[in-house]
Amino acid sequence: MMKNGFFFFIGLLAAFLLGWGGIPLLAHKQIGALAPFYDDGESSSFPTRPPGVAARGQLVYADLGCVACHTQQVRRPDFGSDKARGWGDRQSVARDYIFQGRPQLGDVRIGPDLANWGVRKPPVDAGGIAQFLYSGVVSGAKAVTHPPFPFLFDDRPIVGEVAADALVALVDKTPRRQIVPTERARTLIAYLQSLNNAYEYPEARHVVPVVAKEGAHK
Amino acid sequence: MSSTSTHAEVTAADTAGRWPVLLLLASGLGWLVISGIFALIASIQLHSPTFMSACEWFTHGRVGALAETAFVYGWAANAGLGIALWVLGRLGGSTLRAQNWAMVGTLFWNLGMTLGLGGIATGEATSFAFLELPRYVQPLLVVAYIAIGISGILAWSGRRTEGTYASHWYAVAALFLFPWLLIAAQTMLLWSPVRGVLQPIIDGWYVQSVFSLWLAPLALAGAYYVVPKITGQGLPSYEFAPLAFWTLLFVGTMTGGRHLIGGPVPAWIPTLANAACWMVLFHFIVVALNLRGALTGGGTSLAFISFGLLAYLAGALLDAATSFRGVAVVTQFTYFTTAQQQLALYGGISMLLLGSIYFAVPRLTGRPWTSGAFVRGHRVLAMVGISILVGSLAVAGWIQGTELSNAKTTFGEIAARTRPWLLAVSVAQGFLLVGNMLILANFLRSVSGVWCAGAVSQVEAFRQPTTMEVHAS
Repeated sequence: MMKNGFFFFIGLLAAFLLGWGGIPLLAHKQIGALAPFYDDGESSSFPTRPPGVAARGQLVYADLGCVACHTQQVRRPDFGSDKARGWGDRQSVARDYIFQGRPQLGDVRIGPDLANWGVRKPPVDAGGIAQFLYSGVVSGAKAVTHPPFPFLFDDRPIVGEVAADALVALVDKTPRRQIVPTERARTLIAYLQSLNNAYEYPEARHVVPVVAKEGAHK
Repeated sequence: MSSTSTHAEVTAADTAGRWPVLLLLASGLGWLVISGIFALIASIQLHSPTFMSACEWFTHGRVGALAETAFVYGWAANAGLGIALWVLGRLGGSTLRAQNWAMVGTLFWNLGMTLGLGGIATGEATSFAFLELPRYVQPLLVVAYIAIGISGILAWSGRRTEGTYASHWYAVAALFLFPWLLIAAQTMLLWSPVRGVLQPIIDGWYVQSVFSLWLAPLALAGAYYVVPKITGQGLPSYEFAPLAFWTLLFVGTMTGGRHLIGGPVPAWIPTLANAACWMVLFHFIVVALNLRGALTGGGTSLAFISFGLLAYLAGALLDAATSFRGVAVVTQFTYFTTAQQQLALYGGISMLLLGSIYFAVPRLTGRPWTSGAFVRGHRVLAMVGISILVGSLAVAGWIQGTELSNAKTTFGEIAARTRPWLLAVSVAQGFLLVGNMLILANFLRSVSGVWCAGAVSQVEAFRQPTTMEVHAS
């Protein structure tokens, strides 16, 4: 086989096809056609499609490379501290992502998981998120823990009234100027606020394994 | 020594076919330095988050993507292809054919890289690991790669001996398989994207396949060629080499799912990866047995190859250990994973390639490395740098992992506790950057000598195969 060029190439091709068929294609066959779950009780289906502004925000999230530090996947309650940290009550499942253009699962947690950031406790409003993205400082804290992204904001003179979404804390400090989120910042904030996988699908329920006691009937 | 050994040492494949190989190696070393600059910036941002963050081109995510892309597609691809063409040309026994194709392909590959890195910096990155290059340069890369690969495939098919050698298999496998991989991945992820979590599943498969079917075979093609050349002995346990080769190809790609443990994917994917991680150890053990002569040999090439061989083996053992759910619950999502990747890519692939480069360049140029001091400096900086880099990342990752599992620890506290180790990572990246600048400078000086003075061999350096090593170290 090693000497015969033809069979050697057939072997190489088989290696590629086995890997490609064995993982991408098989997984596609299994979950490629995953449909939303229709809940009779609520008369609606889940997950819901993200609003257009949030879908655009996901592109901003992707192009800034937020995925380098933040995951968007919650592990099951008895596997890691994800639930205890308040990142989600149940594990993430494949169905959560079917309407996401480019899921940002991530594989590094230098910052918190964001899978349910839109419904975290305590909640932070859009102004608070904008303030955080601009300064890199969590409200109440002093140190910079997140890289500040001033390029997502316009620093411009106040003409007439202050813009409705101008950063409040900075208006007084810099007279006659205001810091206003750009279009990209607004979509990114809308995206972060839309992150919510709270609905409990049948496959997402946590199953606690029952250990049979000694002498119990099987 | 008679003059016949001189002729055997610098063959026609070296002198007549050197420019495509030297162009590939020069491009590779250039990208290695560029990648090092980005990696240094990214590592500083880990302990000083405000560093360059006000500049949109250099957010941590983008710099990390730039460093990774420049490393894989700039350094490893160019250098690996250069070594593969050189090895195939030598084993083929005649001058490399289709050299113009290889030259033009290299120029277009690097044009695509330059455009693509500019695209990543300006926000066009795809956010897929190992596939960050924007969609618009991907077809160019496929065509350029095939143009380079033709030269190697022709050297294989037109070889003068019927038998084949391990370097043949690995080099031809890498040349042949990568275009399939790249086309399959970019079709399913960029041109006609699959839905939902299939994207990270396919990206995981692609990342692993790039390592198992492309980068590792390129590096091993060089190592399998260079080690017996220097030691002057046949490879022990060589009868297992074919099976080890096929094990890597068939089982290696199945190990990618280990990064998805506990994730929102079908559970068979990480479970399969766990089993595959242990099965593929057969490949790594056989490679270590085959090339163990490198560990006891002297000289610069063998020093790099020994380090690379041990890192290659250690990386596989760590991958197998962390593919268990009980270990992954700590190491997953931490710097520990980064440490494993750096161990495999920088410690394994890079060092194996550098060992082959230290052997090949004097034979391609017909003269020893210009500066022995630069060679020694690079050797020390590379080995110390990689050891500190991987060690510090692993410790930082273990601290991060154990603290993350305690829900009361905040991210600020984790950052404070990992900070000393992350500072060490920046120091290590600095060492590596300086070391890589040394080999680039040394390479350019050595090659410019040939460019200006023509191919006048310093014959006495080649009287004994090991003489080059002595000159260089």
